[in-house]
Amino acid sequence: MNLTGEFVAFFILSVMAIGGAVFMINFTRVIHMALALAFTFFSIAGIYLLLNAEFVAVIQVLIYTGAVSILMLFGIMLTKHRDEEKGSIAPWHSVLSFIAAGAFFGIVMWIIYRTPIAGEQVDLKQFGVARLGEAVFKQYVIPFELASVLLLVALVGAVILAKKEER
Amino acid sequence: MYLTSYLALAAILFSIGLYGVLTKRNAVMVLFCIELMLNAVNINLIAFSKFGLFPNLTGQIFTLFTITVAAAEAAVGIAILIALYRNKETAEADQYNSMKG
Amino acid sequence: MNVLWIPLFPLIAFLLLTAGRKVWSKGISALIGIIATAFSFLLSLPVLWESLAGGKTIVWKIPWFHINQQVIQFGIEAGPLNVLMLTIVSGVSFLVHLYSWGYMRKDQRINTFYAYLTLFTFSMLGLVISSNLLEIYIFWELVGVCSFLLVGFWYFKPEAKAAAKKAFIVTRIGDIGLFIAVSLLFWQVGSFELSDLKAAVANGQIEPAMITWIAILVFIGAVGKSGQFPLHTWLPDAMEGPTPVSALIHAATMVAAGVFLVANLFFLFEASETAMSVVAYTGGFTAIFAASIGLAQNDIKRVLAYSTVSQIGYMMLALGSAGYVAGVFHLMTHAFFKALLFLAAGAVIVSLHHEQDIRKMGGLWKQHRWLGIWFLTGCLAIAGIPPFSGFFSKDEILMSVYADGRQGLFSVAVIAAFFTAFYMFRLFFMVFSGSYRGEQKIEGIPRVMMIPIIVLAVLSTVAGFANTPGRLLEHWLVTGSGVASDSLHHAPGWIPVLAIAVSLLGIGLAYVMYGRKRLAPEAVVKAVPWVYQLVYRKYYIDELYQMIIVLPLKAFGWFLHGWDRFIVGGLVHLSAWFVSFLGSVGSRIQNGQAQTYALVSLIGLILLIVGLTAGRLFE
Repeated sequence: MNLTGEFVAFFILSVMAIGGAVFMINFTRVIHMALALAFTFFSIAGIYLLLNAEFVAVIQVLIYTGAVSILMLFGIMLTKHRDEEKGSIAPWHSVLSFIAAGAFFGIVMWIIYRTPIAGEQVDLKQFGVARLGEAVFKQYVIPFELASVLLLVALVGAVILAKKEER
Repeated sequence: MYLTSYLALAAILFSIGLYGVLTKRNAVMVLFCIELMLNAVNINLIAFSKFGLFPNLTGQIFTLFTITVAAAEAAVGIAILIALYRNKETAEADQYNSMKG
Repeated sequence: MNVLWIPLFPLIAFLLLTAGRKVWSKGISALIGIIATAFSFLLSLPVLWESLAGGKTIVWKIPWFHINQQVIQFGIEAGPLNVLMLTIVSGVSFLVHLYSWGYMRKDQRINTFYAYLTLFTFSMLGLVISSNLLEIYIFWELVGVCSFLLVGFWYFKPEAKAAAKKAFIVTRIGDIGLFIAVSLLFWQVGSFELSDLKAAVANGQIEPAMITWIAILVFIGAVGKSGQFPLHTWLPDAMEGPTPVSALIHAATMVAAGVFLVANLFFLFEASETAMSVVAYTGGFTAIFAASIGLAQNDIKRVLAYSTVSQIGYMMLALGSAGYVAGVFHLMTHAFFKALLFLAAGAVIVSLHHEQDIRKMGGLWKQHRWLGIWFLTGCLAIAGIPPFSGFFSKDEILMSVYADGRQGLFSVAVIAAFFTAFYMFRLFFMVFSGSYRGEQKIEGIPRVMMIPIIVLAVLSTVAGFANTPGRLLEHWLVTGSGVASDSLHHAPGWIPVLAIAVSLLGIGLAYVMYGRKRLAPEAVVKAVPWVYQLVYRKYYIDELYQMIIVLPLKAFGWFLHGWDRFIVGGLVHLSAWFVSFLGSVGSRIQNGQAQTYALVSLIGLILLIVGLTAGRLFE
């Protein structure tokens, strides 16, 4: 594999993403975890850029690194939690989970490396924010509107759920 | 092959998220890990959008929708968590065992 | 149709007693049994009279069921032999019922006892008048069951339990022989009816070899039921039952069933020389074998039991030597005097607080003079002293054997007669003469027990004259039965003299050894210790059976038990453990936590993927 700029960028970004995820799993303080996750989300936005998905990268930064992480921080603060994460539920559960997740990972990796995908470099002209906007507002306008309805419903639902019950 | 590398990255992130979902005691952390898994899926979608057999924009558009749904899910999830916390006085996932038969 | 009612009375009594087990008081239940058997006996008397007056064989049959086109009949066929048996069985049975009221008075379960006793009487009466082999077989088994129930009546005694089991299992061996014989006969002739069978044998419809086999198999059945060698071991053990049972079943009636069966199917045996020899030799051997064991036994009932085995051996010997009348005649007299002896022994046992060891008896002559006289009557009868009945019947047996020409068997029979006289009078002197050797007080005997003893004593005395001047019994029995009269006219006149001499010799020896104590028994024992041991331990037959049959079977049983317990049971336990293990794991997984559920579904997914794709790895 040639040491191209894309490869170097991919390498650095993926190491950042995986490192952030691993830190998130291993940190003991919840607030650190939230920060590690935000870091991972940010790295993923970089990965999107590498894949010529500029708009999605921006959205990623806005929504995940911004909105969702902040939302989670609110969640953390609103619930009384022990600062120190006490580890997993039971040893056998943790071990079994590790084995199962590892097995799942192994299977997926095996499938990935086994499947020959004749990838070809595409015409990058059809990628771009303009083309994306066109597709969303023409071809996918109905799902788009439905997504807005979904957001509205989620908003209302979240408000109702989180509202303090009247005694 | 680039695609393979992206898919491998996605797989690694997904598995880490999966492990976290299965083992974390704090319900907020479980939600974190779910978000991580969703992101791994998004990486897949965008990678296929560029390197797939029929590369086109649909992958990106799909990712947009996924992010939307994920945001809604996070909001509702946090709301449920808060409601639960109010009832159970705890945010520990292993205390939520009212599904027990 | 009086005959039909004879067995039905005891059956009705049995049903009444069983139904009202909890209702009737002791006295009423005893009365039911006594009255029912009394009716049977009274009804059998006119039947006997008709038959004696030259009446024909009573036949009564109804269709029972069909096998293909073959109608199986259910019915009664009462020739002279059957009528004779009917009278003996109902008579002795009635007396024993009466006697039991005295003997069993203190027993809690007297209602059950009478129920069993009436059931037995019914079965035996049914057996002797059955018209076909299938019926005979059914009643035969019923008799066996009753014997089992009655021997094990005191089931809380382990010996009684073991004896009941032994009686049932050992007789079963014989029953299998009978069953095969019945099946073979049906296969060959296509009918169970005795009359058809007789005709078939007369016509030569069955091959001679087959007749021999069938006859021997029938005889095996008789061997089992009548306690002949080698299936005799159950009979002495069966003495664990109550004494009336011993008197009724194991002396007078049931063990005579084997003799009756051979006599009833005598046409089969007559047709085969080999079968006759088998019967004669088995009978002769059993006669001397059991008599020799009887010499050394110390239990009053066991001595009588071995004498029963020996006397039935005599009957078999007579039948095997073509002495049909002699055999049946001895069957009749034996029924009387053996029942008398057992009932008298029972009276002795009652008066001595259920002590049965003759070494702890003695001197009863002073207390129970009349009982002693009746017992002496029985002893004289069995020893064969004229004019008591045993003399005549035994004499006829000896003459038949002599006339049949088997000199070896004749001498065996004479020696057995000597043994018989010796051990019976050994018993008599040990019990009645000398001084009392026990510790407990001698008690009185209930009067109700004395009546049957007196009746039987009278019968034992006079029954011999049924055949002696005029050969009345012989003419009657031979009529219509198709059996040739015994050819006794050729027998020399010295045989009765020899028989009396031998018996007197035996009595004299017993008197010297046990009456006057001139010759100490211990000295005799010391002279030939191993012979005494051999006889005392009953020739080690029980031990031998234990070694070669019971132990291997037991080992096999243990093996199967172990197999069942450890292999089969282990598998069962393993599967049960596995399922319960799965259940406990499942219940642990079912802990209500979403994460556990998610983990389980993840594992399921992985297993699914592996299961679906693993095959490709090997392509």
